[in-house]
Amino acid sequence: MTRPERELVANGLSRRRFLVSSAAAGGMMLGFSFPLVGRLARAAGAPPQPADAVVNSWILIGSDNTITIYVGSQEMGQGIISALPQIVAEDLMVEWSQVTGMIAPPDPAFVNPGTGAQLTGGSMSVRGYYDALRTAGAAARDMLIAEAASVWGVDPSVCNAVGNGTVVNTQNNAVLTYGQLAAGAALRTPPTNPALTPDSALRLIGTRVPRPDIPSKCDGSAIFGIDVTVPGMVYAVIKHCPTLGGTVASTPSTPPGAIAVVALDNAVAVVASDTYQAMQAAAELNVDWSIPASSADLDSAVIAAQARELIFAPTTAIAETDGDVAAALAGAARQVDLFYDVPYLAHATLESMNCTASVTASGCEIWAPTQAPGLVQLTASALTGLAPDQITVHCTFMGGGLGRKFELDYVSQAVRVAMAVGQPVKLTWPREEDFANDQYRPMALVRVRAGLDATGNVVAWWYRNVSPSILFQRGWIGPNDVDSQAVDGAIERAYAFGTRQVEYTRHTAGVPVGFWRSVGNSINAFMVESAIDELALLAGTDPVDFRRRLLANDARSLAVLNAAATLGGWGTSLPSGHARGIAFHAAFGSIVAQVVEISGTTPLQIKVHRVACVIDCGRVINPDTVEAQLQGAIVQGMTAALWGTMAFTAGSVSPRNFNHYKMMRMRDMPVVTVQVIEGGPPIGGVGEPGVPPIAPAIANAYAALTGTRLRTLPLTGPQSAPPTPPSDDIFADGFD
Amino acid sequence: MITLTVNGVVHQVDVDPSTPLLWVLRDHLGMTGTKYGCGIEVCGACTVLVDNEYERSCDMDVGEAQGRQITTIEGLSAIMAPLQQAWIANQVPQCGYCQSGMLMAAAALLRQNANPTDADIDESMNNICACGTYQRIRAAIHAAAAALRNPS
Repeated sequence: MTRPERELVANGLSRRRFLVSSAAAGGMMLGFSFPLVGRLARAAGAPPQPADAVVNSWILIGSDNTITIYVGSQEMGQGIISALPQIVAEDLMVEWSQVTGMIAPPDPAFVNPGTGAQLTGGSMSVRGYYDALRTAGAAARDMLIAEAASVWGVDPSVCNAVGNGTVVNTQNNAVLTYGQLAAGAALRTPPTNPALTPDSALRLIGTRVPRPDIPSKCDGSAIFGIDVTVPGMVYAVIKHCPTLGGTVASTPSTPPGAIAVVALDNAVAVVASDTYQAMQAAAELNVDWSIPASSADLDSAVIAAQARELIFAPTTAIAETDGDVAAALAGAARQVDLFYDVPYLAHATLESMNCTASVTASGCEIWAPTQAPGLVQLTASALTGLAPDQITVHCTFMGGGLGRKFELDYVSQAVRVAMAVGQPVKLTWPREEDFANDQYRPMALVRVRAGLDATGNVVAWWYRNVSPSILFQRGWIGPNDVDSQAVDGAIERAYAFGTRQVEYTRHTAGVPVGFWRSVGNSINAFMVESAIDELALLAGTDPVDFRRRLLANDARSLAVLNAAATLGGWGTSLPSGHARGIAFHAAFGSIVAQVVEISGTTPLQIKVHRVACVIDCGRVINPDTVEAQLQGAIVQGMTAALWGTMAFTAGSVSPRNFNHYKMMRMRDMPVVTVQVIEGGPPIGGVGEPGVPPIAPAIANAYAALTGTRLRTLPLTGPQSAPPTPPSDDIFADGFD
Repeated sequence: MITLTVNGVVHQVDVDPSTPLLWVLRDHLGMTGTKYGCGIEVCGACTVLVDNEYERSCDMDVGEAQGRQITTIEGLSAIMAPLQQAWIANQVPQCGYCQSGMLMAAAALLRQNANPTDADIDESMNNICACGTYQRIRAAIHAAAAALRNPS
């Protein structure tokens, strides 16, 4: 620690850093960093709180007046490298053209105050960092003003930060740039409660500033993980056991054209002097695998059959309950008993898994596309025996994350291969390995038993989700616990159900499961919103009106629903052979409704022409980014709704490449219209909540068009027959 | 030894002629803007121009590329800068991984068709974008076509 740092820590600040780096154009650039804790006041004297123990970001001001703002989240397409600096720049009073966003390495300084971790996911970046970044920008601004006042020998009240990275002396119009003031300002004590720019005076927040990363993504210069090159590097390609659960029985000898073969539990890595040679050698390599008997159960048919028993199991975990739902159901005027199911899904990020690692006795460097840089550091520390501060993690752009790049399998492999060969290694997964060794969005089978009273009110809502548990597989919950991820989107619904019970029955299937954009919401929204639509039909009520009744006491939800109905032209005339469907879903702190217009008289002919999407995300940083996220979420949701499915046959996975995993393309793209409502705090997320409603909206439109209800995803796939309830089931005799 | 002309620059590469052009560009010439996505000519992330025609470089032997003019994303600005400008103006990329291939596919389309319709775009733009930027790509192609037809 340097002397100024010691002084600053002695001043009661949790952390303070001085950065000196070589500027591209001006020799040495002295910068300073601010502790970006939203609760600076507390840090001054109160016992440390979790949020006080960390510094969330750095502002680096160059002598050339450039502003570099470090971003604690990772950039995977969502534009966070733009949005977080945009928040800081607001109160810092700089122009957007001065600002550069820089993805930060793993460090307690950059932990998200909203999650307590440096993980990028859960649509938590803006939500988690917003308050701290506003305060940080304002604190830095006040320190720069105070420094200017000191230089001029005047009171700070006559000095203004005017919005372009300068401070003006209003008495004589003298000007000092932030670059001139930075070094001195950095020695000042941050103000404890700096004033934030009032909403009426916001210059940047809420505006469509251009994302700084986009030009580099249009000329090939953006560096993704897979593009990393380091001196002395060799190239490795992974070859997993073709059967899930299998392991390497004996390490094969190194084939011609390869440098080494490294055994890695369930895979081997083949090392060569370029990627293609490694791929060729891996493809031709014969490996003796050991396949456990349990792999036979990793089978779609077996898993589906087990689910169809578990859906009627006498014991289950209660996720949410209110009232005696069995009695309410028995007393209902009309009932439904509906079964919906969805398959496992691959993430299919276009950039396959990859990682570059270099390990020496004194340190380890990792270059990775990762949503979890801190976990990368800990993983490498555990593998190498080096201390975490000897592990340097370089976070690259991600060619899509979608939840897959939380995982550490590819990082661990790269570190192990680098240790084995004693050289820097870039490990790349061939596409086939990526599809076949994902941590898949779980399958699910859901039963909805619901009842209406004589006037069409929902008086009973009994929901059971059977699905494998992401959290249990990782050892984070017990075997009989509710998996919060599995029931996300099934509980805490805005709808005013008379009585309700939501249950979770864990499926024990061993297929590895993980976090897929919007996680449980991508599953449960399909069931909830399809069932609501079916109840509307049963009640003889328009689906929008039916939802309005259920949302009558929730003004924000109602506003979103109504706005979507208007935006989508609900109730207006349509071309012959077209129909509309609607779905509503709140998740990640935001409320979304979508109206789709489709045509097609068979599932395979479904064509989505238009999607009207309304979101209330509380407050908007960049409307263009919000629109982009919703457009993208709709596309990802449509791939899943129409075609997405992964199949398992005794541990063997298919499909294994894009030729058999149909994804949305240009010709499939509907016209998407997005309307954003700023309903006020708290801020909601925008990366994920656009995904869940699209599948039920399409299914609802198809039912409206054809009279046929599709209850299995993908909609174009075979539809599952409903399982038969056992004789003691409340619905065993059926209803009218 | 293979002789390759990429973006107007001649390179000598010591590589087996059956090596796909993609991997020569990326691993031997250090031009990583061209991306690996599927390796089977399906996703389009590896799209380049060869003699101004659309090619998926993952499935073209580098030996076949000898003596021909190869244009990659790194060389696009020299032949069609307005296309990149339209991409930026429309804020097309999200993660950006597919965008090199998208831009090169769009360049190939505009070379052949100065005023493509939506149907033309649907037919010729067959690359995968997992982020779902299609609507913006369509808008950017129309904008670029207009700019190229009416240079200011």
